[in-house]
Amino acid sequence: MTRPGRNMAAAALIIASIGLVVLSLLVGTERVDLGQAWREWRDGVPPSQAPMLGIILDQRLPRTLAALIVGCGLALAGAAFQAMLRNPLAEPYTLGVASSGALGAWTATILIGAYGFPAYLLGLPTIQLLAFVFAELDIIIVYMLAAHRDRISPSVLLLGGITMGMLANGGILFMRYLADPNRVVMMDRWLMGGVDVLGYRPVLTLLVGVAPCAAILLAQAPKFDQLGFGPELAAGRGVNVRLLQASTFVVGSLMTAVAVSVVGTIAFVGLIVPHIVRSITGSRHRLLMPVSAVAGGGFLCFCDIIARKILPGETPIGIVTTLLGAPFFLYLLLRRRFTDWDA
Amino acid sequence: MTANLKAESVSFAYEPGRPVFNCVDASVAGGETVGLVGPNGSGKSTLLRVMCGLLRPQHGAVSLNGKPLSAYAGRDRARRVAFLPQAVNPAFALNVFEVVCLGRYPHMGAFGALGPRDKEAAERCMAGTEVEHLRGRDFLTLSGGERQRVLLASILAQEPEILLLDEPTSALDIHHQIEIFSLLGRLAHNRPGGYGILVVTHDLNLAARFCDRILLLGLDQSMLAEGPHDAVLTEPLLSRAYGAPIRVSRHPETGAPLVWAEAPREEETGEKWDTPHKAPSEGRRGASQPGDAP
Repeated sequence: MTRPGRNMAAAALIIASIGLVVLSLLVGTERVDLGQAWREWRDGVPPSQAPMLGIILDQRLPRTLAALIVGCGLALAGAAFQAMLRNPLAEPYTLGVASSGALGAWTATILIGAYGFPAYLLGLPTIQLLAFVFAELDIIIVYMLAAHRDRISPSVLLLGGITMGMLANGGILFMRYLADPNRVVMMDRWLMGGVDVLGYRPVLTLLVGVAPCAAILLAQAPKFDQLGFGPELAAGRGVNVRLLQASTFVVGSLMTAVAVSVVGTIAFVGLIVPHIVRSITGSRHRLLMPVSAVAGGGFLCFCDIIARKILPGETPIGIVTTLLGAPFFLYLLLRRRFTDWDA
Repeated sequence: MTANLKAESVSFAYEPGRPVFNCVDASVAGGETVGLVGPNGSGKSTLLRVMCGLLRPQHGAVSLNGKPLSAYAGRDRARRVAFLPQAVNPAFALNVFEVVCLGRYPHMGAFGALGPRDKEAAERCMAGTEVEHLRGRDFLTLSGGERQRVLLASILAQEPEILLLDEPTSALDIHHQIEIFSLLGRLAHNRPGGYGILVVTHDLNLAARFCDRILLLGLDQSMLAEGPHDAVLTEPLLSRAYGAPIRVSRHPETGAPLVWAEAPREEETGEKWDTPHKAPSEGRRGASQPGDAP
């Protein structure tokens, strides 16, 4: 595709994503009458007494914002991990980061609820802190398994990541088995993922955790381009490869950990979105990463619309992304080009 | 002042007590092509990485234009010294123009935007290695010779003074090898204050024909010889370097040394000619090339 053609396609993708975000505000189990909401807003009715405005501001907006932020974060983390590990199948879920983070979040919840553990450690919320520690441990273990000197084995990376993810999910299931039945419903949230947040507190947690990480990753885009042609050529051009690796792992897993600590594991977003965007924008990360972030937000809003409008009841969003993502993953495995990616 | 990259009595070891080379001197200056030759495991690639600042020598020092190389920040250094590793495996599909533009990284601002000056430089470098007609092609679809010329253009886009090339012709056929080496010769000689080029190669005949000076690394971790090809490519020196009988005659047309290795006689095959020291730098890339062992 030519350069202007690419820019046009990228612009169309961004507009479509914004459209999906807006649509997510309007679509749901209850019909929203925008005119009525506007009249309520204009008349200054407090949201608690305004049925339409209340639905939009108290239910739809936080939920949409959560989907938007999580989608942005997971897609960016996916794009960054793929660039870092030079592997198109790397993403927070296939590397086990997402599940491990969810296990950490769940462990913290149990510690706080059942054993009187403090909700804040060192001034940070324990849930997010433990999610981050578990996610970080996961990526360190997977990286150490797969890396030999400056080479990374893609198959070990994925097998290690998926195994670690299964281990983390096993841990969640085990705790679920032992848990008080009343807590099981809550626990399922970490297994299936759901953006049905209540109020703005979770949204604020997401924003504070994801936005700075996203900014850091976006700023590395030119370095990720360099890494695409191998760590040595990049180092020769003045990229500090070690520092880039370490910071991407820390920041990417922190971002993922905060996201899953609020909404649970949402699989394959970090895989599908950068992949589709790459086919439109090309592989220059300066364009690929910001467009992926926006498209990731749009995509998760889209999945959430499907979850609450098309599928029965309020299907957890993680089920939707998995049902969409797994066949896509298989399709990528079928295409032989993936074998060319060995570093 | 012409550019000057100098390694003075440098030693390097990946593992303590197992030096790849000891107290070695090497230099390259603007306007000359220098061939770095020697057997597998003699540390050619390692020496190149030390001179480029990717590896730090345990002893000795590398200086660039009279200043210690380590005193230059990464991108600052990359604007003066460009390095092309041996195997370049792109992980993402990029077209030729984008690949060449990657070389502008040391000149970019914080957000990686390409200005008109960057595009101009990329165009000039593509013209320099005659790849303008490939500009829109996907790099992965190019032939080996085309890829090398594109990669050369991309490191020229760094606008360096010194080029360090690790076996740029190892995967090419005989015609493309000559093509790349004569291109290197032009790059070094054709402009005032031309590039200084240090190239690692296994092909002694190409080095003899196209390099102004030759550095010969031996298996005893030292620099065996340094100088014009007549002084370096001699039977005693080469046979000592490679630990095998090497013969030298004259090229019938160019008059340059013509080098070949004798086939081992039956009773002498085996352990004697196995490389005594295996440097990790070679082992890392897999086994040594079978074609190089006599």
